[in-house]
This record gives sequence, C-alpha cells and structure tokens, in this order.
Amino acid sequence: MSRKMISLENVTRVYNQGRPNEVRPVNEVSLDIGHGEILVLKGPSGSGKTSLLALVGCMIRPTSGRILVAERDVAKLPERFLTGVRRDTFGFVFQQLHLIPGISVLENVMLPLYPLEIGFTAAKRRALELTEQLGLTHRKGFKVEALSGGERQRVAIARALINAPQAILADEPTAHLDAGLSGELMQIFETLRGQGKTVVIATHDPLVHDSPLIDRVATMRDGRILDGDG
Amino acid sequence: MGSYHLGRHLKILEFALSSMLRRRTKNLGLVLVFAALVFLLSSIVFLTGALRTEALATLEASPQLLVQRAMAGRHALIPLGYGELIARLPGVGSVTPRYWGYYYDIYTGANYTLLGIGDQGLESPGSTPLRLVEGSFIMPGQRRVCLIGEGVAEVRGTRIGGMVSLRDARGWMQEYEVIGLFASPSRLLTNDLILLPEADLKAHFGMPDDRATDLMVEVYNPHEVDNISRKILERLPDARPISHAEIQRTYETLFNWRGGLLLAMFLGAMAAFMILAWDKATGLSADERREIGILKAIGWETSDILELKLWEGAALALVAFLAGVTAGYAHVQRFGAELLMPVLEGWSTLFPAIDLAPRIDPYALGVLFSLTVVPYIVATVVPSWKAAITDPDRVMRAS
Amino acid sequence: MILHPGILGLLITAVLVLGLVLYGAYLGAIVLVRWDLDSSSEEQLALERKTYLLSTLMGHAMALEILSALIFLYTLEDIHAIFVGAMCATGTLNANPVGWWVLGAKILGLLFCAVWIVLNRIDQRAEDYPLTRLKYGLLLLLAPLLALETWLLFRFFLGLDPSVITSCCGTLFSGSGAGVGAEIAGLPAFPLMIAFFGGTAVYLAAGTLNLRQARPRLRYLLAGLSLWMLGISLASIIAFISSYHYELPTHHCPFCILQADYHYIGYPMYLTLFAATFYGLMVGIAEPLRRVASVEGVIAAAQPRWTRLSMLLFGLFVVIAAWPMVFSDFTLEGYY
Repeated sequence: MSRKMISLENVTRVYNQGRPNEVRPVNEVSLDIGHGEILVLKGPSGSGKTSLLALVGCMIRPTSGRILVAERDVAKLPERFLTGVRRDTFGFVFQQLHLIPGISVLENVMLPLYPLEIGFTAAKRRALELTEQLGLTHRKGFKVEALSGGERQRVAIARALINAPQAILADEPTAHLDAGLSGELMQIFETLRGQGKTVVIATHDPLVHDSPLIDRVATMRDGRILDGDG
Repeated sequence: MGSYHLGRHLKILEFALSSMLRRRTKNLGLVLVFAALVFLLSSIVFLTGALRTEALATLEASPQLLVQRAMAGRHALIPLGYGELIARLPGVGSVTPRYWGYYYDIYTGANYTLLGIGDQGLESPGSTPLRLVEGSFIMPGQRRVCLIGEGVAEVRGTRIGGMVSLRDARGWMQEYEVIGLFASPSRLLTNDLILLPEADLKAHFGMPDDRATDLMVEVYNPHEVDNISRKILERLPDARPISHAEIQRTYETLFNWRGGLLLAMFLGAMAAFMILAWDKATGLSADERREIGILKAIGWETSDILELKLWEGAALALVAFLAGVTAGYAHVQRFGAELLMPVLEGWSTLFPAIDLAPRIDPYALGVLFSLTVVPYIVATVVPSWKAAITDPDRVMRAS
Repeated sequence: MILHPGILGLLITAVLVLGLVLYGAYLGAIVLVRWDLDSSSEEQLALERKTYLLSTLMGHAMALEILSALIFLYTLEDIHAIFVGAMCATGTLNANPVGWWVLGAKILGLLFCAVWIVLNRIDQRAEDYPLTRLKYGLLLLLAPLLALETWLLFRFFLGLDPSVITSCCGTLFSGSGAGVGAEIAGLPAFPLMIAFFGGTAVYLAAGTLNLRQARPRLRYLLAGLSLWMLGISLASIIAFISSYHYELPTHHCPFCILQADYHYIGYPMYLTLFAATFYGLMVGIAEPLRRVASVEGVIAAAQPRWTRLSMLLFGLFVVIAAWPMVFSDFTLEGYY
C-alpha cells in the first residue's frame, strides 16, 4: 500500500452531547487511506458511512480524535481554514448529485472555483477541459435539468474534479443508476485512480463493493469499523 | 494577487446576479415596493429642493433691505416722506420707491402681479433680473403699454402687438399694448408678472401720489443692515423693515420643515418595509436553502455565502433605488409633482409651475440613500448570516 | 430642532450604526467569555460562526460611518443659511457648540472602527485566532465611544435653534481674533509652510527608509510622524492652504473649502489626509502584535503595503493642497 494520505486516529463524532438524544454516528474510528487507492466504506444505512465520509472530507470536525491530512492535524482547525483544506484536497460526489437547476452544465462545473482566487477565463478553461474529458462537450450549454441521469452523474464528477483534488469522496454514487451506468461510473473511478487520485466510496450497493476494480473494503456498523483491515 | 482577489469578488457577484434573475418573479415584488417607497421619498426631497432653489433665486433679486409700512397689522401703502427720512441715515445709499400690487383676473381666475416701471427703467438698483426675450422695454414717458412674462403670455394667448385688458380701480376696462416679452432665471418671477408704466399703474390701482407700495433701501455695508433696520424702527415705528437675510432664513426654515415633516411621515412606511425585507430574507424558500447547502458542500465558505447575500441585497437595493429615484425625478420635473400637491396645499397656488433645473445633486442622493438603502441593508444582515452558516454537510445528511 | 432630510438621514444612520455596534459588542462579550479554541464542542463552533456575523456587523458599521461623516459635513454646510451670521459649516457648529464634540467623536470613531477592522482581518488570517481577546476587548471600548457619538449627535441636532445668532469662520479663524482657531489662523505663514513642506519631505523619507530597512524603531517613528503631520497639516490648512484656495489672504476657514464654490476640494483633501494618517498609524499599531508568532508573517507583509499607501495618499493630499500655490497667480507674499 502506498504512503498515507489521510489518517484518522480514534475519531469520534457526537451530536447533542450530554442530552437525552445524544448520538455517536462515528465512534472511535481509526483508518488510514493511501494515495491512489479505491476504498469502499460498506455497511447498512445508518451505520455512519456518510458521517465518516464528511469527517474524512473535512466537512465537519470530530468531537475527539485526530485527523491528519498530508501529515497535518486538522481536527481542531477553525471552519474557515478547514474549508481551505477541503477545497485544496477533496472533491465530492453526492448521492442526490445536488446540481443547481436553472444554470448551465458549464456553470455548475465551475461553481466550486467561484470563491477561489482564480480568474474567470482560467476557471472556464478548466471547466471546458473537464467537460471534454467526461464527454459532455455537446451538453455544456444545456441546463442540467435537460440532461439524462448518466450525464448528470458525469457533471457531478466534473464538478468534483474542477479544483484538481487529490481525493474524490463519493456518497452512494450508484443509488440512482442502473447496472450499465454503475459500471460506467466504476470505469471513471478507475481512470481517476490511474491519474494517482484517491477514491473513497460510501455504499451498500454490491455492484460497487464486489467490483474487482476496488482495492479495499472497510465495513461499518454502528459507527465502528468491523474489519481488521481498517 | 490583487487582480485575483477581484476575480473572486466578480465571480461571486456574477453568480449573485444570475441567481437573482432565476428568481426574478420572487424578487420583483420586493423591488416594486422598495422602488415605490424610494419614489415617494425622492419626490419629497426633490420637490422641496426645487422649491427652495426657486425661492432663493427669486430672493437674489430682492434688495438688501425692504421697508414696508404696517397699519393694523396689515401691509399699507408707505408715504414717500419716509423714504426721504431713511435716505438721510448714515450708511444708506439710495432709496427707491416701488409700485406694485396684485390683480385678480376673473376671466382666467388667475392672480397677477402688476409692477410699475419708473423712468429709470429696469436698471434701478435691486430691480428684478429680467431678460427681454422679444420686443422692447418701456421708454420714459411711454403710456398704455405693457411687458408680460412668458407664463402670462401662455395663459392669455397673447404675443407682441396684442392687447391685455385689465379692469381698473373704478371698474373700467383699460387696454394695454404688449410691447415686449421677458424671461428670468426663475419661473416664479415671471409666471404672473405684468410690467406697466409707473403712472399707468398708479392710475390703475388709484394710488395717492405721495404713496408707494414699499421702499427699496440700498445699504453700503451688508453687515450694517440690522443696525439700519433698528434705526428705521426707532424713527418710524409703523415701518416694517425686512432684510434679505431674514427672508432667506424664513424660506430655509419653511422648506426644511415642510420637507422634513413629510419625510418623517413616510418613515413609518420605511419601517414597515424593513420588516418586510427582514421577513423576506429570513423566509428563504426551500430551494434557496438547498442551493446554499450545495454551495457550502462544494467548498463555499461562510464568508463567501455572506458576500453572495450581500451582493444580492445590494443589487436589489440599487435597482430599486435607481428606479425609484428616476421616477421621483421625472415626477417632480415632468409632472409637477402632481401626486404630492394635495399634501402641500398652500404651495400649489403660490407656485403655479415648477421648472426644476435638470441637475443631479449628490447630496440629495446621499441623503435618500441613507434613508432607504442603508436601513434595507442593515435589516438583511442577520438573516443573511443565518443562511450563510448552514452546515456544509447538511446536503449529505438530508439524503 | 430642525427637521431637515439630511438631519433625519444622519440620525437614522447613527441609530443603525449604534445598533450594529452594540449588537456586535454583545456578541463579542459572549465570545470573550466562552471562547475555547481547543474545544470541539458544538458551542465553540457556534461561537466561531458568530464571529462571521460580528465581522459583517462591523464592516457595515464602518461603511455607514464613512457615509455619515460625509453627509454630516455636507449637512453642516447645507443648513448654515438658517442661522443668523453663519456663512459655512463653522457657523452651524458654533450655533450649538456640541457640534465640535460631534466632529471630534466622529473622527475618533472612524479611526477606531478602521483599526478594529484591520485587526480583525489580520486575526482571521491566523489559524489560532490569536487576537480574539484583544479584538473583543477593544469592541467593548468602541461601543461606548459610538454611544457617546450618537448621543452628542442627537444633542447637537435637537439643540439647534434657528434664532441663535452665531459667529462664523470670519471671527473664529481670523488672524487677529482670540481663541485656538484664531491663533492657528494667525500663525506666521512662512515658517509653517517650511514645517509643512519640510515635514512632508521628512515623512516621505521616513517611509522610503522603512521600505528599505526592516527596523521596529523606524516603524514607530513613521506612526508618530503620521500623527505629527496630521496636526501640522490641519494647522496649515487653516493658516495658509485654505487662503490659497480662496485666493483671499484673510479667509482661513477649514470648512468653506467643502463648498461648491471651491469645487468641493475639501472632501478629497480631508479624505486623503485622514486615510494617509490611518495607514501610517497602522504601521506602528500593528508592530507590537508581531510578537504573536501566527500573525507575524501577515503583519510583516502588510506593513510595507501600508507604508506605501500612506506615502501615496499623503503625497496626493499635498498635491491637492498645494495645487493653487503653484498654479494660481494669487500669492500670500507681502501679507505676512
């Protein structure tokens, strides 16, 4: 396995701490993720996969434990700087895709670059490159609601890639895809790994976690990782 | 680095504008209400400003010191002997009697001011800055002729060579030939003015020979005006000296008071609007909420969303402000502030037609801005912030 | 009380600014008490998020302070005609002497707000928010200052009485009268000119030296000089700069230059002067904060930028101020 990229040490996330409705979606999890691997977090819904993904992706801070991104502890970083780390390191693909209707494919893809200090033309050039790579050039001016399911999925991936992230985090990416499109998606992930990117997928879809393309599976239950390979 | 910074702001601004356009029906209502308020407020500010400028322009023309005579608390004709007495005071230059009066014309239902022109003509000190547009002035000794202002010419439908007939004090109709048309910097001056030879005017009103309407007093040193007024009062207790500065102050106070009062009345409306703005900003629609969640999830930071919201608010306010101010300007300038005239009753008869000089006053705009846009922006701070602190992982949890 | 649209606007703006700052101070006090960066609790996150609101509130307050300062000056000009004896803003201020305090409080409040905003910017660049306590402590001082300013503003405008006979710049800033204003106006113009232009040269030289050598003492020197030059410049405006703009050796008013007759030249003049002073001061104010490791780099990068800005703005001010001395036929020579 290659060098560690992200490393979680005894990470716990508690909501409503000290109150009767206290929950711990992630409980004492330790996990290493290497450069250029495809890791699958598998487990039934409610097992804490999504929360773990959010922790890995610096979307939320852990209640306790350490999270090292490129050897740097980000667990206690204020939100402002945590967002900075997230923008530089990760790209997200969500279960519901979460594209913004009413604006074009190209604008959707460019959106993560808007708050960054990059000129408009440079941002557009990058978005055009990605739409071409993902075979969306003929759709670039369309509004996203006019696209097919598979095309939308690729727009979401292009958007996740626009900031040139080292890792792609995908939450149930195949939930709304048929078998054919799911296979296509796995092919894209493999290409990304070929470019040296890390891919982390949270899923309970056997098509994904049984796929021969993946490097490693970590099974989650009740906020913990079961397998010893975590 | 600097240009990159700008790039960031411009991109967020671009997105703010595009997202507002996508929700134009929702924003339209707010813009309309806002613009209507700005329209009302700016109409008031522009109108009082215009009237003030007009009145002050009229005043420019009036003499340093004007002496009238009061009898039973009313304005009465002043004996010419008073003038000789005043002229002997140290510091006083010339004293010139003025002959004028009001004339109500039953046919047109309008009030005219008739002003007598003596042998010195219009060059006498303190005379009105009238400019002859057409024709000629009244020559010394000339009788039964008149000069009229452009406003009168319009109402009467007369030009040079035509006749103006006026009913004199004895009830006889007198005809005067129009020999000239004049204009002045202010419409107030000329709208209702008719100039007659002095002798004709005295005969028309039936004035005694030794009386004038009032006296224009020339004072050499402007700082001495108050002193001279006091001395005049000591010697002539029934005289009423009115200094230039005093009239100016009265005008200023009057206009500021009227304008301020009206504004104060509309501030209630402004407060109501702020509540509406607050409500609109707090009551984000489900789909706006979702959109902000997405932006946060794909890497927008709290301050980026705050900036987005600020741009949205600023764009909305600016559009409404410009629309309202433009409409207010047109309202006062083109349509004589028709909608406000009922409120300003008493002025409407005084100022028949306003000819607002087309100029943009940055101060008036600044004041309007502080009365409208500023409260709006302040009202949206907290709601914008509440939207901006949406959890970035919200869209993931919702699934 | 005079009901005037400008006065209404100013009073409303003042109340809004005070509201923003009081709310900010309230939030700041909460943050000050509960702040704990080591905690990962939800409460700490909520506090961190409150700091965004605070920054926005203060940013708005600052923008409104600048806007209202300009409107305040113009309103003083605009309403002078109401008062017997007033010919410009000086007469309005004299009509109710509280006005002078309002002016002072406004300048102080503006500077204070600006310093706070810069400190906040610096703080937000460091991951451990090292200036948090300093910032919110300062905010607790700023709130009473702004409350005082608002109170004075209300007292000033509510206490304005059109029947008051006031004295104007002719007496207050006459070369032969009594009082501070008159004394400044009566200062011998030639030595003051030397102090002004000489001081400008020294200031620009100190700035250049600062850009060449990174020495703390030089930075404090620059900050001190910027205050000193503010004083000299204000005195010079009264004593001779204004006279050149009026082309009248006896006219010394620092406010008449704000009038349309003089092309509103006073506004850019005062704006550049105060902005130059502010940036010059900032170089010194931030210096002790360099001891904090996490903001050292940020401040070190900002100081040369402030120095350059201050020099540029001050240079602009001098150009605007001295323009008629160079390009007009009028001269004070022979009058002193």
